[in-house]
This record gives sequence, C-alpha cells and structure tokens, in this order.
Amino acid sequence: MAKEVREIVEVAHRKLSVSNRDKVLWPADGYTKGDLIDYYRGVARYLVPHLRDRPLTLERFPNGIDGESFFEKQVPRGAPEWVNTVRVPSHAEHRSHIEYIVCNDEPTLVYCANLAAIVLHAWTSRVQSLDNPDFALFDLDPWEGCTLKTLATVALRLRDALSEIGMSPLVKTSGATGMHVVVPLDPVYDYEPIKQFAEIVSRHVALLLPEQTTLQRMTAARSPKTVYLDYVQVGKGKTIVPPFVVRARPKAPVSMTLAWEEVEEFAASRTQNPTTAFSRWTIKNALRRIEKDGDLWAGRHWRPARLEPALKRARTLWGN
Amino acid sequence: MAHAIWSGAINFGLVTIPVKLFTAIRSSDLSFNMLHEKDEGRIKYERVCSVDGKEVPWDEIVKGYEFEKGQYVTLRDEDFDRVSPEITQTCNILEFVDLAHINPMFFDKPYYLEPTKTGRHAYALFREALASSNRVAIARVVMRSKEYIAAVKPIGEALVLQMMHWADEIVETSTLDLPTEEQLPQPEMKMAKMLIDTMTVEAFEPAKFKNVYREELMKIIDARIAGKELPMPAKKAVSREKVVNLMDVLAASLEEKKKEAGAAAPAAKTSTRRRKSSAA
Repeated sequence: MAKEVREIVEVAHRKLSVSNRDKVLWPADGYTKGDLIDYYRGVARYLVPHLRDRPLTLERFPNGIDGESFFEKQVPRGAPEWVNTVRVPSHAEHRSHIEYIVCNDEPTLVYCANLAAIVLHAWTSRVQSLDNPDFALFDLDPWEGCTLKTLATVALRLRDALSEIGMSPLVKTSGATGMHVVVPLDPVYDYEPIKQFAEIVSRHVALLLPEQTTLQRMTAARSPKTVYLDYVQVGKGKTIVPPFVVRARPKAPVSMTLAWEEVEEFAASRTQNPTTAFSRWTIKNALRRIEKDGDLWAGRHWRPARLEPALKRARTLWGN
Repeated sequence: MAHAIWSGAINFGLVTIPVKLFTAIRSSDLSFNMLHEKDEGRIKYERVCSVDGKEVPWDEIVKGYEFEKGQYVTLRDEDFDRVSPEITQTCNILEFVDLAHINPMFFDKPYYLEPTKTGRHAYALFREALASSNRVAIARVVMRSKEYIAAVKPIGEALVLQMMHWADEIVETSTLDLPTEEQLPQPEMKMAKMLIDTMTVEAFEPAKFKNVYREELMKIIDARIAGKELPMPAKKAVSREKVVNLMDVLAASLEEKKKEAGAAAPAAKTSTRRRKSSAA
C-alpha cells in the first residue's frame, strides 16, 4: 500500500488534515483529489450558500470515479468537532436517528472533499423547517436519443408555464445528462402540496408537448427521444445535487446555473447530445465562468413564490 | 398432474394418511439470464478462492460459520447429520386450532396434499372433519431432512399444507416508530370510516387485479422475438381532466393548511449543533 501523505492546511482559521492530494480520482483526465479540493475551495463562496442549513449526503469515491462508491448520510466518526451537524429521526432498522453533516463554511467543504466526496446531495429544506422545502424541483431527464434541442424545448415550455402563473423558475445543468428547473418558494408548505403542484405543472406541459415528453416512471415504457419529466424528487430525505457541485463523470463536469437565454440557444443548437454540451463546464474552468456571470440562482434571481396565487392563476389559465 | 415434490404421510393419532405434495403457487416472475452484450455469451459464475485466486472444485468446499468478523468454524456433513431430524418424510399433527386464531403473518408458502390410492378414505374423513369443525391442524413436517411447522387446512376438495414461520422469524413491531397516542377526533374517524364503507366490495376477487408490469414487459419481449419495432407505450391518458382534478386536490390541501395555521402553534424548530469534542 502506498504511503499516506498528510498535510495540515489552514482554511478560514480552521486547521485540518488533508491526505493524498495526488490520488487520481479521474483516471482518464488525470485529475486528482487535490484538484477536487482546490475547485471546492475556489467555489466555496458560491456553493456554501446553496448548502447552508441543509442536511447533506456525501457520495464518496475513495478509489476514483471508476471505483466503488457509496452514499454516506451519517457524519463519519472522527469528524472534527467544528463540523456542524443536525440530528434527524430515522426509520432505519439499526438507528433511531441520523446525524447529517450541515456544510455552512469552507472548512467543512474541504473536509468533505478530502473524503473524496465528489458529489454532494442536499435536502430541499433547511434545518429551520425540515418539513418545508424552499423550492419545488423538476428533474428533466433526457431519455435514449433525446437531443439537446428537445431537452431545451421542454425546459423552455416549462419556464413559460411557470412564468405565466407568476413564478420565477431557475434552471441549471445537472452536470450529468439532464437539467434541473426549480421554483423558489416560501418555506411554508409541506412536501405533499409541493409534489401535487409539481405534478400539475408537469402534466400541463406534457399535454402541450406530448411528443417530446414522458411522465412514465417505468423506464421500459418510456418512448425514446423524449424528456422524462420527473416531479417526484421532492420528499422528506430526498435530495438534489446543488449548483456548482461536481459530478463523478469523465471530464469532471459541474452542475452549472444557466440564464434562460442560454437555454434558448441550446434549443437552436446543432449539438446532438446534451451530455456533450453540459460537460463543457468542469472543475478546471467552471470557476472562471461563475466569477464572470455570478450565481444565476442567487440574489435578485431567487424570488420565492407562494402556491395559492399560482394555483389560482393555473385554474383560470389551464382549467379547460 | 405435475410431478409430486414429496411423498410421505400425515400421522394423526393412530391414523396414517399417505399423501403426495404438490406445488400450489406458480411463479409469475419473468426470469432472465445475464448475457455479455456483444456476443450474447452466458455469464457464468466461478467459485474462486479469495486467498489463492483459483477456482475451487465442489469437493474442496466446506461450510463455515462466521462467529466473529473474519473468524470461522467449519462444519462437515456429519455435523449436519447429527442434528438432522429423522430422515422419514412425516407430517405429525400436534394440535388443532381455530383458523381465526392464527396471525396470518405466520403463513408462508402453501402446497396441495393429494392422497395415494390407499389413503383416499382417511383423507376425505380428515378433510370433512376439519371443515365441519372449522379448525386447522398444526403439524411438524420433515421434508428433505429439514424440519418445519405447518398448518393443514381444507380448501374446497383439497387439503392444503401451508408452511409457517417460526415465532422468532417474525420481526417485532417494536423496531418501528408507530403512532400510539395520536389524538383522533370523532369527525375525522367518521369521514375515514365512511370512505372505507363506500370502497368496500362484496367479496375479494383476485382475478380483477392484473400484473400490468409483467404484461407490458411480455409485449416488449414478444415484439423483440418477432423482430418488430417496439410498440410505442400507450400514451398515458394525460388528460386535461387529471390536471383539473389535481388542482382540486391541491386547493383542498392548501385550504387545510390555512385552517391548521390558524389553530396550531408553529412547529418546533430544529437547529444545527456543533459536535461535542470527540476522542478522535
């Protein structure tokens, strides 16, 4: 076994131990754990606000993206005492609760990256009210043979539907194959009404674009070349890969917030494969873009809505 | 008739009823083989030793019980023989009980019992006696040198041998987080009961429930065999009506929430905490 190389780094006045920076996590690209840590440090001031106060699940790849990986909810034993956590009751057989990491600062982010936690999965709610998500999520999953154009067309139709009922939808690449569209909400609704709302909107869009969409949860029954509109990703304990999080895929792509104008360009683009288009933002270049365009999901872009007025409009507009 | 999977005898006092056992459940699961995509070669399993990395012939394989992580005691065939019940295939009736007194959780796989030529009369007598007394027999069954507990019950013309779980195989509900002291207001209960009443049917008719997943999968398989294009999944009737119905549902749950918010105090808030200093 190779000798473990450890060094102590200081991040925002916290001392922490970083091991094996040279460990290759992306064999085809040659990117190492050091590259992952450097990216997460650089992007921390944009990423941490999206993680703040949310229970976090780590997806760890100790032997790189081609090796075995595992999901970790419970904070690892031996985590530094300054790592924030939250206890959530659990129905699992062997434990009454899970103590999740809550990443509210750069040192915690570096701690996670050092565990080769390439992908971070966050709850849709925050600890102040874990039963009330602060956004609704639509996961747009391109099915076999679906082109970038089709995917973008569906995303734009979804944007139009949400805008016409008075909401402010935001969009990003998932970093992998699809896109995420979210609607910021005041954190006052339970999971169930949010799910119902997402289903209403998804079904409405599916009626408008029957050839390009599927709501079929069963993969065997999905038509090829369609976009699967997944509205069931909201629920207690369900997670999303937040903006700027890295994916365990070739080229080390990251989830990137987009302006709707960019999605319009995608709709006109000749690129066939969404994955090709979305892997242009990687841990090597994403920070430059984020610093230039800013976080397109923050500040004036993040406008929480309420469901009652949206439903009222939807009833009038889509009722018949 | 299919092939009997066991033949033995029901022993009941001084009476012996020679019987054969038949499967009562046919599996409707589709089974698949794993293939290498490029040449459709069957994936085969090799028993490989984790120490020397070589394939191990059957005669060099023994059974080991892991009593601590990585620590084994090995058992030989004679060890298993020592504790095995007698080899004779028997079904010894121990006691009788009202069917309603058995928690259905205990029931496992059912089998049909068929009398051999010499056992027909005793079989019929036993069946009718059980049916008219509304009881089932509890039996200790030895099958393929393993011991089981089972119920013998009359179902129509047949006696059914239904295997049962041992008491310690049933997981206690105390491992679950279940509501026990929930306040259940009278009107809510009334509503719930009314709903149950309106959805209650005369008799359970299993034939009206279809395994849609299997049927859909079979369609895909048949089409592949025929070399046809896959049938397009029937566009789910994503009708306007469904959207409207859902809007009513959402409106109702938002209304509900409004009432709740008026009545109840806000829920307790959770907050993060710094971890206590650990030894690590």
